[in-house]
Parts: sequence; C-alpha cells; structure tokens
Amino acid sequence: MSQTKLGERNDLVYEDVCMDFDSAAGVIRALDPFSFHIQGNEFIVIVGPSGCGKTTLLHITSGLTAPTSGQVLLGGEKIVEPGPDKAIVFQNFSLFPWKSVYDNIEFGLRINGVPLADRQRLVVNAIQLIGLDGFEKHFPRQLSGGMQQRVAIARSFVMQPQILLMDEPFAALDAQNRQLMQEELVRIWQTQKPTVLFITHSVEEAVFLADRIIVMSRRPGRIKEILRPRDFMGELTSHWRTLPYDDVIRRIDFQELRAQVWRLVKSEIGDRH
Amino acid sequence: MRKRHKLLKNTFALASVMTLISAWWGVTSLGLVRPLILPSPAEVGLGLVDIWHGYLGVPFMNHFKASLSVMILGYLSAAVVGVSIGIGMAWIPSVDRLLSPLVSAIRPIPPPAWIPLTILWFGIDLTAKVFIVFVAAVVPCLLNSYQGIKSVPVDLLNAGRSLGATRKVLLMEIVVPAALPVILGGLRIALGTAWATIVAAELVVSLAGFGFLIMNGYRNLESNIVFCGMLAVAITGFLMNFLFLRLSQKLVPWMPSEK
Repeated sequence: MSQTKLGERNDLVYEDVCMDFDSAAGVIRALDPFSFHIQGNEFIVIVGPSGCGKTTLLHITSGLTAPTSGQVLLGGEKIVEPGPDKAIVFQNFSLFPWKSVYDNIEFGLRINGVPLADRQRLVVNAIQLIGLDGFEKHFPRQLSGGMQQRVAIARSFVMQPQILLMDEPFAALDAQNRQLMQEELVRIWQTQKPTVLFITHSVEEAVFLADRIIVMSRRPGRIKEILRPRDFMGELTSHWRTLPYDDVIRRIDFQELRAQVWRLVKSEIGDRH
Repeated sequence: MRKRHKLLKNTFALASVMTLISAWWGVTSLGLVRPLILPSPAEVGLGLVDIWHGYLGVPFMNHFKASLSVMILGYLSAAVVGVSIGIGMAWIPSVDRLLSPLVSAIRPIPPPAWIPLTILWFGIDLTAKVFIVFVAAVVPCLLNSYQGIKSVPVDLLNAGRSLGATRKVLLMEIVVPAALPVILGGLRIALGTAWATIVAAELVVSLAGFGFLIMNGYRNLESNIVFCGMLAVAITGFLMNFLFLRLSQKLVPWMPSEK
C-alpha cells in the first residue's frame, strides 16, 4: 500500500515538453515536443548521440532550465525551480572543494534547516553507506575520482530526493572504478529507490542498470525507442543489476540486448556522415 | 626525496645570490666603476648604519612607520571597497551596468599618474598618500573579485541550487568561497602595486618614508644611501608578500600550497 503511494509521489510526467535555444545561426531546436510518463521508483537510462538533448532534458527535469513550452510534473506538481527533491549528480562530481567530505554531505541538510542531531545521524549513515568512514575530514582534492563520486552520490541521497538525476556520472572514471560504482549505485539506490534519470554514453551501463532504456535520436532530440531489459532476462526472478556485473555481462541475453541497443544508437550516429 | 629536492633548490638559490655579491664586490674593489655609479658593499653597509641611527636626523623606524602606516590604511580600505564592489558587480547585473563604465574609465590610468592630482587635492599629508595607495590597490582587488565570481563553475552553482540554496546562501557559501583563490590573487597583485606606488609617491614629494630616503640619497649624491633605501623597499616588500602568502594559505586550506 505504502509502496504504491510512494510510487505515485515520485511519478514523473512530461507533457508536450519542447526546447529551443537561440543562437547566432537562429533558433535551434534541442528537443522536439514529446510526452512521456515515468513510474515512481523507475530506473530510466537515456542513451543517444552527443548533442541529442540528453543533458537539456535532465536540466528541464531538475528545474534549472524552463522548457520553451510544455511542462514536467513530479508527483502531480509542476516543476518550476530546482530543489533538494530533485537531486543531481554531475559527471565532474562538482563537490565543493573548500568543504570536507562531511561538510559536503551535510550542506544540503544544513541549509534546509534540518536540526543538528538529525544532520549528524544522517551524514554518519551516508558516509557509512558509501564506505568512506575515516575520510570525513578529507577535502575532495585528496580523494580518488571514484571516492569523490561516492561523496557526490551521498550528498544527493542524504536529501532523500524524489528523483535522482545523473548526468554521465561515471564517464570520468576508469573502467574498473566504473564497474564498481555501477554495483555500488544499485546497492545505494535500493535503500531509498528514488526515481532515477540516468544519462550515459555506455550502452553496457544502460543495459545493466535500466528498468527502461530510452534511445534518443540525434538533434532535434526525439525518443527513438524504448526498451525494457526485464523482457530480455528470461528465467531471472529479479533484475540482473542486483547480480555481480562480471556474471551478467557474460549472459547471452545481456549481450543480445546490448547489441540491439548499440545498433539503435549507432544508426543515429552513422546517419550523420 | 622532497627534502633532497628542497636542499638542491636552496643550494642553487644561495649560489646565484653569492655570485652576484662577489661580482659586485670584485668590480668595486678593483675600482672598475666610480663609487657614485656603484658603491661598494662596505659603503652600503656603512650607509645602513647611518640610516639606522638617523640619516639627516630622521631615525630609520620613522621612515618605516611612515611608509607602512600609509600602506596599511590605504591597502586595507582598498581591499574592503574593491572586493565588495567587485563581488557586487559580478553578482548583481544592475550594479554591473551602473559601475562598469566608471571602472573602465579609471582602470587604464596607471597609479603613479594619480600622484600630481592627489597632491593638488590633499596636499602631502597622510590623507594624500593613503588615497594614492587606495587608488593603486583598489583596481586589482575589484577586477579579480569580479573575475573570480564570474568564473565560478556553473556546475557548482547548479549543485548548490539543486540542494536548495537560496540566492543569499549561494553567494555566501558557494560563490565567494569558490572565488576566494582568485580574489586572494587580486589582493596579492594589489599589495605589490600599492607598495610600488607609495614608494613612487614618496619619491615625488614626502617628508619621510623609504622613497624619501632614496630621493635624499640621490640629491646628496650618496649612492650608497640610494642602495640602502632600495634594499629596505625590497626587504619590506618581500616580507609583506611572504606574510600574505602565509595568511592566504590559512584562508584556503583546500588549495595545493603555492611555492
């Protein structure tokens, strides 16, 4: 019962959303008008060629950018401004370099007036969750890329957001860290299950993580195809993202889906030449 | 390894300074140049003793106090005013539109060019010199603060806004700390400019101060005094810069330290 309610609260509805940019060469259409419904607690991964409007879509959803026309509803409410209910994780981590790990994670709670005792409990929990005990007083510069991105994820999760927006969060990490962080993200995500909008260039990442994969066309961005990895998982009772990554990528069904998604993305890149 | 590197660096530094001093000593003791053009190290040493006890009746500490009090008053007021206006212009578009024409007009005037006008306005007392230091220091403070605020990465702003920061919180907790290294860079440039300008002003007209000392040595054809005055300017400038660097490392502990 409470699960359903929570789901509705986190539902994300796009109604005729369209985005144009003014440039020296005239008006450029970044996103063709589209409507779309994301269920609460869904893990959505968006793939598509560079410049297809993925980041624009993310910014509109966060409330940082207003769409040219149309609207986005979160739990039935129109999104008009950014806020802690719509957390963002950036590709370049964007931690506050002058704040320690602890202060970075505490920042959002503090400026939103959460009492000190609650703050301490939440931050300590978050640091434990990302496995960075002992690094509380470190500055971001003193951490590896993977650790920095963990802090950024904790900084977002500690606000208990309704939606989590991730803009190629692991693109700056090396392959090994990337794989670890994908597994880590699934583990952390399951503690709260916010609705996730995750942008990536990695088809493999998309296939591993997503409830639904949205393949976007090249500019102006349109939804080209939507795929459900669940439909490809055969005998599995739970989503393969909960299994070890190394085992999953060896599965034939995983590889088939990966190839299918890659063909879709490639056709969008290829058409350009 | 680091210790060894430092030792090596110090050895080179010492070698270059020693070479210069021995060349100086060699050239003067061989009588290759006239003492008026280049006084010997010994003469400069005598000059130092002379100045310490009071060259032309003014004790050294009076020169030091004269130059430094002007410096502190002018520099600190320039820092407060310049940084505030720079931040204000970068953060509030209407302030930018209002003040940027004024800044553009004042900016290209080299600080020493203000000296004659300032003497006409304020005479040669403390106010005049403080004003000159202020004018010299305020421009780099303002420009760097402006630039620092404008170049805060947009993702940091977006991160702050998405965590629920109001405009005030954004300014105080994200924009200003993010810009602080650049602002401090401006304050450091201003320190050098202000010091150069006050010495220049004292050269033109003054009753005490290092510039006054240099100019008097020149007028009396005592080049060793000129050297001593320059040495005092150099050492004081070096110490101010050193103190400033120490202080700014305290203010920005998250930055890698500068050498």
